[in-house]
Amino acid sequence: MARFSDKRYNMHVLLIMAVYVLLVFFEWPHVKTVADSVLKIVLALVPALPVVGVIVLMGARVLRSDELQQRLHLIALGAATGLVAALSVVFSFLCAAHVLNLAAEDVLFWIFPALCLTYGLTRIALTRRYGGTAC
Amino acid sequence: MENRVRELREKHGWSQGELGERLDVSRQTINAIETGKYDPSLPLAFKIARLFGSRIETIFDPGK
Repeated sequence: MARFSDKRYNMHVLLIMAVYVLLVFFEWPHVKTVADSVLKIVLALVPALPVVGVIVLMGARVLRSDELQQRLHLIALGAATGLVAALSVVFSFLCAAHVLNLAAEDVLFWIFPALCLTYGLTRIALTRRYGGTAC
Repeated sequence: MENRVRELREKHGWSQGELGERLDVSRQTINAIETGKYDPSLPLAFKIARLFGSRIETIFDPGK
């Protein structure tokens, strides 16, 4: 399987995220005004498609990487998962104790970006440690 | 683990990128192997040995 070049991967992600931004700005505001429940479900789920697309792309990139890159991806993913899981437990207890009042949908929306941010930062740190150029 | 990958690569006049292409790995992986930051898997170590026409133990030295 041919490896993904960083340039090609970044271009794909940028294109998909541009579609996502357009959907969030132009499609998502209409969801609350739609009365039909089936159409409402469809419209509500449409912005999730580009995000799923990026996840599939990330998976393909890891699968097509060489052994060191796969190791770095997996360490970064493990670190990100651990940190986000720890934060979710902390915030859950704080919410359950009524110390924080957070709406469930607000918290759920931030899980994927938090995972991506932690994954990205860990990946950059690991890449530098192993003598590569970050990004 | 110490290795002679840099020495052998330079002897053949290849850049890290060129060696990476021949082994189907990234330039970063070649750099990490040469600097001793990463020990390659057994299949990759055999691939390196085969490419340089040497025995694996003459390229990689696990030390004491």
